Amino acid sequence: MSPRIRVALLALSGLILLPCAASVIAGLPAFGSKIALYGERINAITPEARHVANMVSAINFDLRGLDTLGEEFMLLAAITGTVVLLRGHRGEGITGRAMRRPGRAVIPRSEATVLACRIAGPLTCLFGLYVVLHATVTPGGGFQGGVILASGTLLIYLGEGYSGWRDAIHSHWLDALEGGGALLFALCGLVPMLTGAAFMQNILPLGTLRDLFSGGLMLVENLGVAMAVTGGFTQLFLEFMEETREAEEPDEPGEESA
Amino acid sequence: MTLAPAALLPLPVAIPLVVCATLLATAHLLPGRIPDILALIAALAVAALSAVIAVHAADGPLVYWFGGWEPRDGVHLGIGFSVDAASGWIAAFIGLLYALTFVFAWGFFDRTHGHFHILMLLFLAAMVGFCFTRDMFNLFVWFEVMSVAAFALTAYHLAESSLAGAINFTVVNSLAGFLMLGGIGLIYAQTGTLDFDGMAASIAQGGRSPVVAGAFCLVAAALMIKGSIVPFQFWLADAHAVAPSPVSVIFSGSMVSLGLFGLAKVSAVVFGGSDQVQGALPVLLIGLGSATALLGGWMALLQRHLKRMLAFSTISHAGIMLTGLGALSAGGTGGMLVYVVGHGLVKGALFMIAGILLATQASIDEIALRGLGRGIWPAGIAMGLAGLLLCGLPIGILDQGTRLVQGALSQQGHGIALAATAIGAALTGAAVLRAAGRIFLGLGPDPGDEAGAPSADEREKANRPLWLMLAPCCALLAVDVALPAGPIAHALPRAVSAFMHRPEAGMLAEGPGWLPWVSVAAALAGAGYGLFRKRLPAFVVRPVSATQSAPTRALEILHSGLIGDYAVWLAVGVAVIAAVLAMV
Amino acid sequence: MSVLPYAVAAWLFGIGLYGIATSRNFIHLVGCLGVCQSATYVLLLGLGYRWGSIAPIFYDHPPGTPAVDPVMQALVLTDIVVGATLTALLLVLTVQAYKRGGSLDPEKLRPMRAGDKPGQSRGSSQVSDGGRQAS
Repeated sequence: MSPRIRVALLALSGLILLPCAASVIAGLPAFGSKIALYGERINAITPEARHVANMVSAINFDLRGLDTLGEEFMLLAAITGTVVLLRGHRGEGITGRAMRRPGRAVIPRSEATVLACRIAGPLTCLFGLYVVLHATVTPGGGFQGGVILASGTLLIYLGEGYSGWRDAIHSHWLDALEGGGALLFALCGLVPMLTGAAFMQNILPLGTLRDLFSGGLMLVENLGVAMAVTGGFTQLFLEFMEETREAEEPDEPGEESA
Repeated sequence: MTLAPAALLPLPVAIPLVVCATLLATAHLLPGRIPDILALIAALAVAALSAVIAVHAADGPLVYWFGGWEPRDGVHLGIGFSVDAASGWIAAFIGLLYALTFVFAWGFFDRTHGHFHILMLLFLAAMVGFCFTRDMFNLFVWFEVMSVAAFALTAYHLAESSLAGAINFTVVNSLAGFLMLGGIGLIYAQTGTLDFDGMAASIAQGGRSPVVAGAFCLVAAALMIKGSIVPFQFWLADAHAVAPSPVSVIFSGSMVSLGLFGLAKVSAVVFGGSDQVQGALPVLLIGLGSATALLGGWMALLQRHLKRMLAFSTISHAGIMLTGLGALSAGGTGGMLVYVVGHGLVKGALFMIAGILLATQASIDEIALRGLGRGIWPAGIAMGLAGLLLCGLPIGILDQGTRLVQGALSQQGHGIALAATAIGAALTGAAVLRAAGRIFLGLGPDPGDEAGAPSADEREKANRPLWLMLAPCCALLAVDVALPAGPIAHALPRAVSAFMHRPEAGMLAEGPGWLPWVSVAAALAGAGYGLFRKRLPAFVVRPVSATQSAPTRALEILHSGLIGDYAVWLAVGVAVIAAVLAMV
Repeated sequence: MSVLPYAVAAWLFGIGLYGIATSRNFIHLVGCLGVCQSATYVLLLGLGYRWGSIAPIFYDHPPGTPAVDPVMQALVLTDIVVGATLTALLLVLTVQAYKRGGSLDPEKLRPMRAGDKPGQSRGSSQVSDGGRQAS
């Protein structure tokens, strides 16, 4: 199809969809008028039933924990896929040399950068841990905190250079962290079944509302998510970063087809 | 602690997840064959557990509430699994298909530290979750897990064509996910719940509502994209043709039909009470299904790349399943469910044969392979049998599904759809039989200098003995042929009524007994024509060539491989669904 | 303006789809896909909002204060993860496609097609006639 036909066809289907979309929007409850019964009920009963202040965490880790389990493994699938696809021809070796753009000056890292990273790195990690731990009381959680923790490791790269980063971060550890976190989460589902409870039933003591240690099993699950996300995202950075390195030998397409 | 059968429900999902998390955590410590063995055991466990669950669900659906959050005062608080016999058996079939695929792929993915098995097990867990869940958003989560694992597996070979195929696949199916999520948002705003039964009750009370219709339009479009229905079908041929053969087995054998399975469940259970949706369904599903069956079959016949041919044949069969669904009767849906299993078995076997050819002959091109299959004649027998089964040879479970679908269609007087199912099956059968004849018997004209395969760099690792690859393939065909028709026919009415949440109908009607034979005869004639065209008199050949060249060229232009075109067709498809819904 | 968020969601999806349909660069295309996805964020959060409500976190406010719908927020959190995974995977595919084909243009990178290679079209016309008899 030529671009013109393509746009024309798109516009045509847009014309058909426009009145349909308009009638759907007109049929929806007016914006901000009410919320669904499900959410209303959760807001009403969960603080008492689970002693947690953050409803979103309560939904993610308890009421609809299975969704988060699926989501966690979706992340695992994506990162495993990324690793497989990026390593496909490159292998697992580490290459020292960065790719250079001809004509672009190579500027050595300034001391200010190093200092800033050395100060900001630990602080970022601390902040990440803070966000992870306060999952049940504030808008935090394993996923958000895990991403912050993972980006903290990027500061090592910025401050210490690539080789320093590769020395500090090992792909095998990241696999273990990621797989271990996901395993912990999955076991949080299975272990309650051994006691006769339902999958992912919150069987641990619930603690008190607004306390850091409230929510029982949610805290463990949250930890699992934090581990998996930290490991997974760092792995992602590592693999993408390795793409900026120069290959030691030229690629041979089709060489390893399986 | 009492072990009620319902307590087993989380396990078929949890077991593969635990195994794959363990595999990842210990990826670098495990010796070579352990991932193969663990993955095989996990898949067998899923199959066995699902079968047990299905047997226990025969009397009524088993329900399980995660986290112990049972509904309170009529409000569904948590996520539930609800497994009727049909869903359970479909899950068991998927487990079996994975187990045999793991055998087929034994040692194939040596150097990846079990990453292949991790992705495949995630794929398996997501499919089982998709079959079992009774929660709309949970359905979406499994839908996405399935997609993400599939995207990565498609590009595994990292050749240019597989990357292009994977990108098209990823973009189109991501858009499907967004559409589905939008639909879920709409239906949630309307009904205030995410549980299938809760939504169904609310929709049945609500009467005609544009929001419900809009939600159905979006969700149905998403599931049809997964199920590769015209005009959403384009991604499939690109992706299935380039994925590694074991992955193609899973794609064609279960992923595509699972999209239609989801559509069947959602439209019967959730939207069963909406007159607008139920009124639009026959037109929509039968129309799109017939078009898909014909287009897929025709395109299959045009291919010489064996896996691409099989991919188009999958599209054609997806269309046949959709027409069964469109009959909106117990017979049609029941036939479609049986067809899902039968088709998965036969198509899985065919993709395994394609994989065998890739591994042993280092080519996948029908013309280049002419006569080269003589040395591996057992694979040829399997391929011939699979081709005959595909076009409707009246034995086995695929045939049972076909006859039920055709019975439902003829009962409701959908003559055109009935013809489309027969023709679609005949076209794909003709394509497969022609290829089998050329490759394994050396029939057809000698290609001479044309023999150069279009993509010579395609080959797969030949590190497995032939019997190891052939055994799972034969096992699939044997299961298809040997599954007893009597008990299935006996159990089906009740299973369908539980699946569709409808009162039980009597015995399900079967289509005319001569129709499959017509398909077989047409397929044989078509294959023969393809192979011996040069020997036929000119007055037969010339009109045929004249009539088929223009539509063929048009179709080839349509399947451009450009993601921009696919996005436009996606919009067109959504518009078609919306227009049909609006007109009812 | 009680329909504005929903209209914005529809607009975002449409414009994203237009971007995908006309894109000549894979990275741009990934961005357009992100635009389409933001449509779902806007729609879900819009549907879960209620005037005069607090965020569903009962730390500073006692439980029982009217709050917006926490379910939608949880769904959007999952949706964000979906977005992150898709973007990562698509960028990997793009990187690899660029390495193989040397181009980021979707029009230049094509999956296997009939007619691309010599002998292909003749081969396909030669074997393409069964349909007539079948029908």
